[in-house]
Amino acid sequence: MTAPTTGVGLAAAWSRYLHCLAEADEYAAVEVATRLLDDGLPAERVLLDLVAPAQAEVGDRWARNEWSVAQEHAATHISERVVAAVAAYAGPRPTRGRVVVACMDGEWHALPPRLVAEVLRLRGWQVTFLGASVPAAHLVSYLHRHDAHAVALACALPMRLPHAHRMIEACRRSDVPVVVGGRGFGADGRWARRLGVAWAPDAPSAADLVADERTLRRTPPAELSHLADDEYASLVKRRGELVDSALADLRERAPATRDYTPAQLDSTVSDLGYIVDFLAAALYVDDDTLFTEFVDWLVDILANRGVPAPAVGLTLTHYAEALRDSPRAARLLDAGRKVVAAR
Amino acid sequence: MREGLVVCDADDVVRHVSPVAERLLPEVTAGQPLAVAAVPGLLSGDFTHHGRRLRSRRVALSSGRSCWYVEDVTETASRADALLAERARSAFLAVVGEKLGNPLHPDRAASAVVRLAVPTLGEVAVLVLAPRAGRARWWRASLADDETPVVDNGVVSVADLPPAVVHGLDGAEPHAVDWLVEQAVEAGWLPGLTSADACARVVPLPGRDVPAGVLLVARRAARWYEDADVDLVRAFAARAGAALTTALLYRDQAEVADTLQASLLPVEPAEATGVQWGTAYRPARGGLRIGGDFYGSHRLTDGGSLFFLGDVSGKGVEAAVFTGQLRQCLHALHRVETNPGRLLKLLNDALLETTQVYDRGRFATMVVGVVRPCRDGGVTLTLAGGGHLPPLVLRNSGEVEQVPLRGMLVGVVPDPRVGEQTVHLDAGETCLLYSDGVTEARGGRRGHEQFGTDRLVTAVTGCQRMPAPALAERIEQVTCDWLADGDHDDIAVLALRATGPAGRTPRHLHAVPDRATTDEEREAPA
Repeated sequence: MTAPTTGVGLAAAWSRYLHCLAEADEYAAVEVATRLLDDGLPAERVLLDLVAPAQAEVGDRWARNEWSVAQEHAATHISERVVAAVAAYAGPRPTRGRVVVACMDGEWHALPPRLVAEVLRLRGWQVTFLGASVPAAHLVSYLHRHDAHAVALACALPMRLPHAHRMIEACRRSDVPVVVGGRGFGADGRWARRLGVAWAPDAPSAADLVADERTLRRTPPAELSHLADDEYASLVKRRGELVDSALADLRERAPATRDYTPAQLDSTVSDLGYIVDFLAAALYVDDDTLFTEFVDWLVDILANRGVPAPAVGLTLTHYAEALRDSPRAARLLDAGRKVVAAR
Repeated sequence: MREGLVVCDADDVVRHVSPVAERLLPEVTAGQPLAVAAVPGLLSGDFTHHGRRLRSRRVALSSGRSCWYVEDVTETASRADALLAERARSAFLAVVGEKLGNPLHPDRAASAVVRLAVPTLGEVAVLVLAPRAGRARWWRASLADDETPVVDNGVVSVADLPPAVVHGLDGAEPHAVDWLVEQAVEAGWLPGLTSADACARVVPLPGRDVPAGVLLVARRAARWYEDADVDLVRAFAARAGAALTTALLYRDQAEVADTLQASLLPVEPAEATGVQWGTAYRPARGGLRIGGDFYGSHRLTDGGSLFFLGDVSGKGVEAAVFTGQLRQCLHALHRVETNPGRLLKLLNDALLETTQVYDRGRFATMVVGVVRPCRDGGVTLTLAGGGHLPPLVLRNSGEVEQVPLRGMLVGVVPDPRVGEQTVHLDAGETCLLYSDGVTEARGGRRGHEQFGTDRLVTAVTGCQRMPAPALAERIEQVTCDWLADGDHDDIAVLALRATGPAGRTPRHLHAVPDRATTDEEREAPA
């Protein structure tokens, strides 16, 4: 992540702002942002050139294990307060229809969609932000209650794509067009195309798309004929059993894991589960890169936390053995093992 | 013999014409070259001639002669066309049924109705809803360059409605349609069409007792509305009417439900000196936004605040209604009693009384506390426990303590044992109340394991410098991540953090916790 370069004021504010996040100093962070507004920087720029990249930096620091989860949460909370302050400062008047912005069920990365919500608000839309992890039933009943011009859904984790698809379909059944965004749909939105849904790379593009109803409604059909082989559904059914056997296998082959504390054991179990979930999502959209990108990322994260790459390889091999009758899953696991081996 | 025969010699001169062929191809005469008759389309094999659909084929005979077989397929073809048209109509109605099948928002349903009507039923479709208070709202879809129609809407006073529409709103379907187009053009509803080159139909949309509205469809006069077309418009109108009626019914019911729900939702704690509140609330799955967990606070006249978090017996709406009664009880009682222990006993008596009235066992578990700011920037908490999970305290040292608060359920026995504790929080320290939806969340490897207090303590360890709202959200997130299949009980969290004298958390405390406490932390991918 590089610091934004537009304007000297912004560049200076950038390092001050990051410092505030590190110190968990909400009031000083709000001051940094409001001073930029006082200096005449448009609210949209403050959100997109200060808050958004700072949040990405927070994520990177967590990934490098420089920041704890607690710090990441605190920093995110402060950014949310800053967003609220910037929005209150600008105080736009809604002149256009209602747009509903929400995170997928099980998604907690609420800041990026919050930024989209505020950019839409600044452009005159009447925005309802439903927040993090919105159950599909709640979203749909909201849409039935309030006439919405469009729904913007955020998904940060590709493993939520099957959920995302169900949620998109639910909105469509209510005749409300959907635009999606977030890293969960791939850096170039390729998995959004698979699911047949409009995708926006950033907040301004999302705002442009929302303003163009005809394009929003003209979406290509989903390309999911591969789901007919039932591999996805049967993998989801076998999740518990696979995680169980993978853990037993790991204990046998990597004796160090036998002395894990309960907390370490829990995070190992959830990592084993994530591997299955990402594999399932990769099967759902039938794309090797979804799984290989995840494996690459997981190896990085674990390496930064002292878990060697071969441990991931062991588990992938174990899953490959257990899923040898599922050709697509076997192909994905093989691609994943190559990623581990290449490191 | 339905097939006619035309036999030609090697020079393509007609030598024989059968009676059937004579009737189908009167131009063809024996003795003349076939080309002279110049039957258009004969060579193509499938053609229309004198209003009949004909199929022809040429068969080579010996010595260069040939024979043309000509068959009249008018009836078969029209049956096939009718079948195709019928199929197209069924497919169209199936799509309409699917799209309008959900209880939509009435405005959404209205715009969906007109959008679906174009282009199948007309180039322009206008829906006029039954008027309310002398004004009628209308939606219009018109065909654009491509297949996606443009939708707009507006309001018109009943006095300005075309007479045919008024007629339709009374439930009648106007039959004399010649002046209909003029009326629609005059109303400004048919852009790009004039009364001379357009035709239109109006059908009422059936409602609960009177029509929900009327649908006007119009297209260029090149294609008149035939009986089959009008039947299709009527079938569409029936579905559209049902959808609109459902949407209106849903809106009315949802309005009631929303109002009631809103009164049962927990109210965010009131601002209090020296305290930062953080809350999380996630009712058990479903469209319902309310449940059996509750929290809240009331400011006291002496500068302190009363706060509470609890859980009632039962589930769903009934439990939510009970929490509403409890909250109201507390609201009234805190004016006469501000000692948490005595307040719980009063509440217990009140509950027992209503239980006897309703002859139904209802009880609650809860923690009630009073927070008062101290001179050192910290706060003092006086806590009373009624059988609820003991609160946690996050100390500045990083330690997480469990407050040994016990006590019996509220609303079961007269004069219950109430646990009482006093806790001091230094500036920056946090007290955490939570419901059993957190600790009893089932997940893990096989999805049956409870989250438990130990995991909760682990999850908040190292979080002592988090703002209270972030801490509450973190607990909600960690709990939901733990849940295997998503089903859960109501989850409620109330975090209370001492902010220090200036209303700010102290800045000199470095926010980075010890590496030692975070090394083992690994969680959901960011």
